[in-house]
Amino acid sequence: MNLNQVYHLIRKEAYLEWRNKSLLASMLIYVIGASFIVYYAFHGEIEFNVWSAIYWIIVLFSATNILGKSFEKEVKFQYYYIRSVVPPLEMIVSKLIYNALLIFLFEVVIFLEMTLFFGIEMENLWLFFLTLFLGGVGFSNLFTLFSTITSRTGNVVLLSVLGFPIILPLLLLILRLTGFSDVDMMADDRNLNIGVVAILDLITLVLSVVLFPYLWNE
Amino acid sequence: MFEKFSKQIWWKIATVILLVYTCTYGFWVKIPDLPILEESIRNLFFHVPMWFSMMLMMFLSLVYSLRYLASGNSRFDVIAANMAIIGLLMGGLGIVTGMVWAKVTWGAWWVFAEVKLNAAAAALLVYMAYFILRSSFEDPESKAKFSAVYSIFAFVMFMVLINVIPRITSSSLHPGNGGNPGFNSYDLDANLRTVFYPAVFGWMGISLWMSTQLIRIDMIKRRLNDID
Repeated sequence: MNLNQVYHLIRKEAYLEWRNKSLLASMLIYVIGASFIVYYAFHGEIEFNVWSAIYWIIVLFSATNILGKSFEKEVKFQYYYIRSVVPPLEMIVSKLIYNALLIFLFEVVIFLEMTLFFGIEMENLWLFFLTLFLGGVGFSNLFTLFSTITSRTGNVVLLSVLGFPIILPLLLLILRLTGFSDVDMMADDRNLNIGVVAILDLITLVLSVVLFPYLWNE
Repeated sequence: MFEKFSKQIWWKIATVILLVYTCTYGFWVKIPDLPILEESIRNLFFHVPMWFSMMLMMFLSLVYSLRYLASGNSRFDVIAANMAIIGLLMGGLGIVTGMVWAKVTWGAWWVFAEVKLNAAAAALLVYMAYFILRSSFEDPESKAKFSAVYSIFAFVMFMVLINVIPRITSSSLHPGNGGNPGFNSYDLDANLRTVFYPAVFGWMGISLWMSTQLIRIDMIKRRLNDID
C-alpha cells in the first residue's frame, strides 16, 4: 500500500470538503437542530441511559447523511479518471480513514451540544471518548462500503435500509459500553466489551477492504 | 453438482416421509411432563427446525455469493438469491411459531429481554434490505455483484448478533442462555428425539426443495431470454 497516495487522497478529500463548506455547515445545523428537538421534547431533563440512546441515534442518522454522499463525486463525475490513477486499496483506505475522522468530529460536536443542553456528567470520560472512537471507526467501515453500493442507485433511503439492521450488533455493544462510562464498575465486563467492539471493528475493516475491489472495478 | 442434486428424487421422497411423520407422530408422541411448557413442547418439532432451515439457507446463500464473487458466473447469483428467499420464508415462519410459543411460555407475543427474538427480526430486516437492494439495480451484473457483497456482510454481522451478543449481555430466555437449562435436558427424552431429528431433516429438505424449484424457474427464464 502506498501511504503517500493515501495521505494525498485524504488531503484532497478534506480540501474539497473545506472549499465547499455547504455539507459541513448543513450537517452542523442538522445536529444542532436534532439535539435541540430532543432537548425540547424531554423538557431539558433526561436520564443517562436515555441520553446515551438518543445520542447514538443522532450519531447514526448524521452518519448516514454524511457518508451517503461519500462516493458521489467519484462515481458521478470522475469515475474513470479516479479509477485509472488510484488503486482500489488506497482508495478505500483513504475513504475509511477520512470518514472515520469526520464521524469522530461530528460525534464530538454532538457530544458537546448534548452536554451543554443536558449537563451530563460522566465518571469516565476517557472511556467515553474511546467508545466514540471505536464507534466512529465501526460506522465508517460499514457505511463507507455501503455508500459505494448506494451511490450507483438513485435511491437515497437505501443506505439507511441497508445499514440500520447490519449496524445493530455494533450499536448494541457501543450502547452497552457507553453505559460503563457513567457507572465505572465491573472492569472485567467492560474490558471484554471493549475487546469485542474492537474485534468487530477489525472484522468490518477487513471485510470492507477485501470486498471493495469487487465493487470498484466494475 | 447442485443441478444434479436438485434433479434427484430420493431426497424429496425422504422429505415428504419425514414431514408426514413429523406432522402426525409429532402430535401423538408421548411428551415429558414439564410445568409451563406442557403440550407446547411439541413446537420443538416446528419452531427449532425452521430456524435451523433458515440458517442453512442463509449459509448456502453466502456460499453461492462467495462463489459468484470468485467466478463471476451469474448462475451462482441466481442460486444465492433464491436460497435467500426461502431463508426469509423459513425465518418468517420461525418467528411466527416462536411468537406462539412465547405467548404460551413467557406470557407475551414479543419479549424485549429476548435477544434471539430481536436478532431474528433484525435478520429478517437485513434480508428484506437485500431484496430491496437487488430490486434497485437494472443491470444484472452490478445487481449480482453488489448484492453478493451485501450478503457477505449480512451473514457475518448476523452471526455476531445471534452468537456473541447473547453471551455478553446474558439476557436471553432461550434454553442454554442466561442461566436457562440447555436443550440437552429436553433432548434426553428419547421420545422427543425420535421426532426432533427427523423434523430437522424434513424441514431442511423442504426448504432445499422449494429453493431448487425457484432456481429451476429462474434458469428456464434465463434460457428463454437467451442468457445461457
